[in-house]
Amino acid sequence: MTLRIGIIGAGNMATVHADGWEAAGDPVVAVLDADAERAGELAATIGALVADDLGSLLRSVDAIDICTPTDTHLDYVLAGAEAGVAVVCEKPLARTGDGARSAVAACREAGVPLLVGHVVRFFPEYVEARARVAAGDIGDVAVVRLDRSTYLPAGASAWFKDPARSGGVIHDLMIHDVDYAAWVAGTVTRVYARLAGSIDGGDHVLATQKHEGGAISHVQASWAFPVGSFRTSIEIAGSEGLILRHAADPFRSLVAVSSDVPDIPAPPTSGESPYVTQIRHFSQVLRGRATSRIAPEDAAAAVEVCDAIATSIMTERAVAIGEET
Amino acid sequence: MTRVGIFGVAHIHADGYLANLEAIDGVEIVGASETDAALHTGWSDRHNEPVFATHEALVAAGVDAAIVCTTTNEHLGVVEQLAAAGVHVLCEKPLATTIEDSQAIVDVCAASDVLLMTAFPMRFNPSLAAGRTWIDEDRIGEILAFAGTNQGRIPTHYAEWFADPIAAGGGAVMDHVVHLVDIMRWWMESEPVEVYALTNRILHPDVAVETGGMVTVGFSNGVFATIDCSWSRPDGYPTWGGLTIEAVGTGGVFTIDAFAERLDVWSHGDAMWTDWGSDANQAMIDHFIGAVKGEHPLDVTGVDGLRATEVALAAYRSVAAGQPVEV
Repeated sequence: MTLRIGIIGAGNMATVHADGWEAAGDPVVAVLDADAERAGELAATIGALVADDLGSLLRSVDAIDICTPTDTHLDYVLAGAEAGVAVVCEKPLARTGDGARSAVAACREAGVPLLVGHVVRFFPEYVEARARVAAGDIGDVAVVRLDRSTYLPAGASAWFKDPARSGGVIHDLMIHDVDYAAWVAGTVTRVYARLAGSIDGGDHVLATQKHEGGAISHVQASWAFPVGSFRTSIEIAGSEGLILRHAADPFRSLVAVSSDVPDIPAPPTSGESPYVTQIRHFSQVLRGRATSRIAPEDAAAAVEVCDAIATSIMTERAVAIGEET
Repeated sequence: MTRVGIFGVAHIHADGYLANLEAIDGVEIVGASETDAALHTGWSDRHNEPVFATHEALVAAGVDAAIVCTTTNEHLGVVEQLAAAGVHVLCEKPLATTIEDSQAIVDVCAASDVLLMTAFPMRFNPSLAAGRTWIDEDRIGEILAFAGTNQGRIPTHYAEWFADPIAAGGGAVMDHVVHLVDIMRWWMESEPVEVYALTNRILHPDVAVETGGMVTVGFSNGVFATIDCSWSRPDGYPTWGGLTIEAVGTGGVFTIDAFAERLDVWSHGDAMWTDWGSDANQAMIDHFIGAVKGEHPLDVTGVDGLRATEVALAAYRSVAAGQPVEV
């Protein structure tokens, strides 16, 4: 049995996801994009058809994979739920926490799976760190530091650079570590954050979070780093030990670049691209052979926390989420 | 000769300061004073210099300058005696456990016209001095934000009182916030105006003070900074801890590891970092003695210690309020 996949949106992420579906053995049969020429180019590359419209795409697939601008995710999720097809959605699940909650509710009511691409949960270093925590190697999680510092790609789309549509550095970049922090340290109950914008629009955000159970975390997300840089780091301190992963660049050994910088880093040398791992996992979930590593509620919570971080920046106050403990 | 005494040896740095003093020509070490019998005995077992049972006795022996290494809550009482006797003071950080005591230390030294320096050795770390130069030269444009870490093993391995709410005034926040605050004030010549803090007690839950801390500081020039002051280095960590600071500006970033001059050394037992290069503590003591001799003004004052302590104490107010508070 194969699953027929319809990709909505034909930009960077669509190409990355298409590679994943190919590895999973599930054919992408249809591509839809407002830009028909771009849809045609992707469709030709992967042997799919260009869908005439959303309705025809929904009628011809078992699952949709939403790779469109953030502010359009919700409408496509709702359409997928209504059509009764499984929904795969690039992160963030929606532009706002309320939207994300309604997306989760709609899929639950329709009885369709909702799989959100929080790909960091498939990066081997993050997977291994969480496994060590879950195994009790460092005791109770106390203090977490996560960092994702890079630059705003010169070729970024207009919607991506518009915080009203993408949520900016918080909802697009920081959300990775917001989600991961909750995955290792528990539900976030309060946030406080500050933002600075550099002259070329590369925003820089530092957030501190309080988690249910008492852990605290520091999350840095930056588009204000020099062109070509991409740095992530993990630090998890627990009552019985410490996990550290500091990497100037987790993917390449040593590269100096001055131009032609890719928007998406190359895969790690240790195995397949985590983006492919993620899609293969989703494929197994859709076949009923695995339970999703990313609960829809977790994806919605990540958006809610990002909303709270944005609110904290605007109000210059700490913002509680749910019932603060 | 400049006659110097070490007042109190409760702080782990007292032994190192003694060695620093011994390395300076023109310094005569009058001795140390310690009121705690066990500390007194331990010190006299380790060192040949005289050790007095009271601070008054050491003052009476005649000193020009003092290094104060009592527990933090005893700083004020000792400094009052020193100021009254016209003795110049280098005081361990944090200056005191309360704003009132910190202010009183500054005031009594000013009134008695004695020098008061706060022990901020990081001012004498060459990497951090380079950071000040880079900022002066606008190397990364206008500064937007700092992320600093001053994490360590729990210092109760050296002395239990570091985790005593009375003697130390708190835990990781009192211990580790002040250094980075001082570096940022020094670099920018701007004052902290707002503090938000989170703390917890998951690391070493057996002690009565906070062991994890994450503090956000807003400065009057609009720059914001985070300080991770956690005692988050486990017992098996290769060294006591460390201090790093990353600056993000409109034109770039820089990251400084103040203790990057080190080797990683493994044996069949523990891992160890061994360092080389400049000795910030020696440079700090040299600077203090030079100021006592009238060779130069103090680059680090008691007011610097007061301002940094205000941020640490504001962090506790923020934790209680669950919101940012004014400094």
